[in-house]
Amino acid sequence: MDIFLEALLNIIDPVTLTYMVIGVGAGLMAGSIPGFTIAMAIVLTLPFTFSMPPAQGLATMISVLVGGLSGGLMSGILTGIPGTPSSVATTFDGFPMARAGEPGLALGIGVWSSFCGGIISAILLVLFAPQLAMVGLEFQPWDFFMLVMFALTVTASLAGEHLVKGLIAGAAGLFIRTVGEDDAVGVGRFDFGSDYLLTGFDFIAVLIGLFAFSQLLSDLRNPVTARNALSDRKQVKVKIEHRRAIGILFRNWTVVIRSALIGMFTGILPGAGGSIANILAYDQAKKAAKDDSKFGKGDPRGIIAPEASNNAVEGGALTPLMALGIPGDITAAIMLGALLMHDIVPGPTFIKDEPALAYSIYIAFFLASFIMIGMQSGVLRVFVLVTRIKTYILATVILTFATIGVFALHNSIEDIWTLFFFGILGFIMRQFGFPLAPMILGVVLGNIAELNLARALAIDSDPMLFFLRPWSLFFAIIAIFSMVFPIYQKHRDTGSLLERFFSPLVLLSISLPLFMMGGLLRTTLAFAAIAVSSFIMWQRFGKTKKG
Amino acid sequence: MSFNRDSLVALCLILASGGLMLASFEIREPDYGVLSPAAWPRIIIIIIGGLSVIYLIQSFSTPQKDISPVPKKTLKEFVLYWQNVIAVFSIFALYLLVLPYLGMLVGNILFSFVLLTVLGGWNAILMHLVIALGASGGMWLLFTHVLEVFLPRGSLTGF
Repeated sequence: MDIFLEALLNIIDPVTLTYMVIGVGAGLMAGSIPGFTIAMAIVLTLPFTFSMPPAQGLATMISVLVGGLSGGLMSGILTGIPGTPSSVATTFDGFPMARAGEPGLALGIGVWSSFCGGIISAILLVLFAPQLAMVGLEFQPWDFFMLVMFALTVTASLAGEHLVKGLIAGAAGLFIRTVGEDDAVGVGRFDFGSDYLLTGFDFIAVLIGLFAFSQLLSDLRNPVTARNALSDRKQVKVKIEHRRAIGILFRNWTVVIRSALIGMFTGILPGAGGSIANILAYDQAKKAAKDDSKFGKGDPRGIIAPEASNNAVEGGALTPLMALGIPGDITAAIMLGALLMHDIVPGPTFIKDEPALAYSIYIAFFLASFIMIGMQSGVLRVFVLVTRIKTYILATVILTFATIGVFALHNSIEDIWTLFFFGILGFIMRQFGFPLAPMILGVVLGNIAELNLARALAIDSDPMLFFLRPWSLFFAIIAIFSMVFPIYQKHRDTGSLLERFFSPLVLLSISLPLFMMGGLLRTTLAFAAIAVSSFIMWQRFGKTKKG
Repeated sequence: MSFNRDSLVALCLILASGGLMLASFEIREPDYGVLSPAAWPRIIIIIIGGLSVIYLIQSFSTPQKDISPVPKKTLKEFVLYWQNVIAVFSIFALYLLVLPYLGMLVGNILFSFVLLTVLGGWNAILMHLVIALGASGGMWLLFTHVLEVFLPRGSLTGF
């Protein structure tokens, strides 16, 4: 109770609250600007939080995150241009509803769905993170190493047909972290006699360069569109209809809960974020509807599903971060960066060792959702007006801001050079179709992977242990299947052997480490996996024979 | 089978992997510690190299999709296509070179003003000046006075 009070006092401190309000506002603004992603907003907030105490810094970043997740719906509903990739599906029904003369209701449904999604995922975060951390206590260095490999392969597999490019990007991210002095023995690596390289790249400058600088360059590439405003909407005279919206949400509570659960689950998976969750939830809402004829024409369920799911994603992404120290998506990876900046290394003991900070994160997550509701209703016009600013003006101001922010990290001009070099690299990678998410995850997790590899080999030099220990085998198996997944997707609906036997093979394979783990629950799960796998195989083998 | 843009990138990556592998032999091997400081980077380089070979093979077998229709006819067309990107790169590099002499405040005002004018044209020069002064000055005040972050002073300007 004392710890909870300490955390509460940390968050309701007037300075922290002020930063949270500014953070939610900045997030809403960033979210409402098409092309300006939430990850970019978070990464640009990072340097600001450097001088703050950890709880205050994280609360500010969580506020930006919550604001950003909700900001996308405003421009999506009012202009038809989604502010962020995580609100793409919101425009499918939000914009038609607004055009049909109900913009206030569309916004109301969007705002309250976001709020509910955020609150549901915050509750699940509080419930699940400590449970997952307890499982994480079983992990040894072999398991952590394989967990990082799994996170990288899953993220790379999301690149779909560009899987190889995704894997190269992830490996390149791991390599970037090896430049400079080795953490374990202090030997210089790949410094080529340069002091700048010997100190290594500051990973936050790398993240801002890779993500923000390269994005700005992409936005500015076309001289004509760079001089245009993002939207030509002159005025916004809309009043959010809260009461009607809440009524609709109550009538569609199953859509709210299902979508929030989809968002939460998608968030837990490394690499999969709001951009996937909102489409998945929309699709599920449409499939589950008895009458789906109004979808795409302004159906309220078409707004509820994407908004509840994209706000729930972050609760999911924060769960593995707080429980295992492995971020669920890019924004959580940046949060991890913020924690590392304050010398706090999240892992299975994080919640136990830093309970006040863990509670502060929970409380900030709840509180930010309430601040978001208040701000979205009050200053809606201002946020939409931001979309009238010309792209080149916005990009220049952001770039100047990023430059000062990066310098402030260590008072070092070298960090700005890092920003510049990695901005160029990120831009080139975008042009050649390399996904940036695996590289960012590689940069963030590179040290953790190397440290655990060294620890594992120090305990026992047998490399086979990476495939013989239950948890590391478990992660190795799902890492391999995640790499095969894009090929499986390509062969879907073709009736190929891979299509028929992919899922039963996954289940059969994971039953082995589950058996090795022992215990009643895991052995039962292993038997269940074998039973389900056999049933699917029997069904599909029958089909193959008939065919 | 044809040599395309992806093949070129894959070849560059293979060459880079080879170069980095050679460079990894320059890493000093201490007498202590279980894992050699060169071991982990070498594992990564081997993975990158192997994946690059797969990427090269794929590039030959997969028909090239033209994702970015970059004009390739003349240098002038190329420069015109990328003019804004080249401008940002050049102005930013110049800004970094003069930063120690001009300092963060003057450097940022000049950087944002020049960039705004190059990207947005000379017609709105006054607006660009106001934005440059407001944004850079505002951020400088915020960082130095509110967040108490020391920002570099210029050896020529003194602030």
